[in-house]
Amino acid sequence: MDTYVLEAKNLTKKYNKFIAVNDVSFGLKKGEILGFLGPNGAGKTTTIQMLLGILQQTNGTIEYFGKNLETHREEILERVNFSSTYVDLPWRLQVREVLNYTSYLYSIPNRKQRIQKIVDVFRLQKLMNQEISSLSAGQQTRLNLAKAFLNFPDVLLLDEPTASLDPETAYYIRQFIMNQRDEFNVSILFTSHNMAEVEEVCDRVIFINHGTIIAEDTPENLPKRIHKSRLELMMKDGMKRTVALCEEYTFAYEVNKRSIEVEIDEHAIAHFLTLLSQKNIEYDQISIKKPSLQDFFLEVLKHHENT
Amino acid sequence: MRIHRIYAIVLRYMYYMIHSIDRMSDMFYWPTVDLLLWGITSLYIKNNTQNVPNIVLMIVSGILLWIIIWRGQYEITVNFLEELWNKNLVNLFVSPLKLSEWIIAVGIIGILKMTLSLTFASLMAFFLYKANILYYGWYLIPFGASLILTGWAVGFFITGIILRYGTKVQTLAWTAIMLISPFSAVYYPLSVLPLWAQKVAKFIPTSYVFENSRLFLFKGYVNWTDLWISYGLNILYLFLAIVFFYKSFTKAKERGLIGLF
Repeated sequence: MDTYVLEAKNLTKKYNKFIAVNDVSFGLKKGEILGFLGPNGAGKTTTIQMLLGILQQTNGTIEYFGKNLETHREEILERVNFSSTYVDLPWRLQVREVLNYTSYLYSIPNRKQRIQKIVDVFRLQKLMNQEISSLSAGQQTRLNLAKAFLNFPDVLLLDEPTASLDPETAYYIRQFIMNQRDEFNVSILFTSHNMAEVEEVCDRVIFINHGTIIAEDTPENLPKRIHKSRLELMMKDGMKRTVALCEEYTFAYEVNKRSIEVEIDEHAIAHFLTLLSQKNIEYDQISIKKPSLQDFFLEVLKHHENT
Repeated sequence: MRIHRIYAIVLRYMYYMIHSIDRMSDMFYWPTVDLLLWGITSLYIKNNTQNVPNIVLMIVSGILLWIIIWRGQYEITVNFLEELWNKNLVNLFVSPLKLSEWIIAVGIIGILKMTLSLTFASLMAFFLYKANILYYGWYLIPFGASLILTGWAVGFFITGIILRYGTKVQTLAWTAIMLISPFSAVYYPLSVLPLWAQKVAKFIPTSYVFENSRLFLFKGYVNWTDLWISYGLNILYLFLAIVFFYKSFTKAKERGLIGLF
């Protein structure tokens, strides 16, 4: 049986008749990075707010380290932190002041050294005397993350932590997050709309839509649930015959100048290529794109909306 | 209850004060305006009538003592609004900070800024009108303590309303305290109020303090029974206001602190 550092059981949030989160249950293991994905309005932020105790759930329980959040709030939040691109900081304060007063909200040993270490890691040294209002969106995100790591958290809830960061900084932050996990066994709940990032960072992924969990697995396994691959052919001769063949076998396709992309079940690829050869259709290049997490995301949403 | 978390909130609002010209100026600007306006008016009355002794000290004392209520209420309400305007409330309450620690911190901030504001205004009153607030001696302590309790009670009540209805009722932060001002008889004896207003004033704790300040000014003693009534009412109102504030906070959590504005 898995032991979870964070466990949500039958979490439900209703606003009058509208159900924002419906009977959601999941756990976060020690040292795990759990991706929490879903389209806008799916219930991700609502769930995170409940996990932080800033939104009262209608039903269900939240436990950290085996203790109930409602009855052990203070003790739990000492070991938890949060960062969101969408939560502002006091805009007239300086970076130094934000880090300083925040450090006193937690029981942090060697406060000054910890702040200095975090400032170095998040490259904030040159910004220390700047007011929050003068920071760029990326700089504010870095400060938000710095604040989230100040108290050596055991559990971190990160709501789109790399949104608005440039690619180099986003890469650096991802590496830092993974290092923290490896070095200190930090458990992280991670939301992002960047699927490549989720594939890179997360050990496990939960998909949520309309307040309900609709899929849960590793980022490697989830795309395997889609059997359709994309076969791209750069045609030398026989584009019309290929199109006719696709229509005959009802394969979805897309023609782009000299190339054609065919959506096809993995096990049917060999048969399709044999048919091309039997019809003397020639092509220069062939590439097979396996389904990605993004394909899974789109497919699942499409399926869910249709049903 | 952790001292370091209370200190964090005090620090957060002190930093804000340093960087905010409007917050700095309202500590000194309004007392200056009031002192000039009412001080000169009372000088005029003093020079043209003979039956109102100590008129300058009476009115200037009213201004100075009102600063105590005003700052007590203002620091609670406006600091809370500040968190809403900055969308920073979430950052505070995802930490182990307790609501009771925030309450104590804004109380401390209120006392600190009231002391600054009152010292400034008292010095100004002394240099402009030779009106010395220290004339009241040690009685300033029970007067001031009662007045700040009223300020806190109103502050928590208004903040509770803002928690329920958001910033669309934020004007209460500046206006609500003025509702009790006519019944407090800040600048005039209670007896000049109409009878119905005098009955209302019996439920306003500040009316007992201002009446007593005048009693001391003219007769040289205070009525302790009235002061105790003032304390009794203050404790009752403060208790009710804090309960209302807690209930409003719980209600706000049902909608989510992140969406509160």
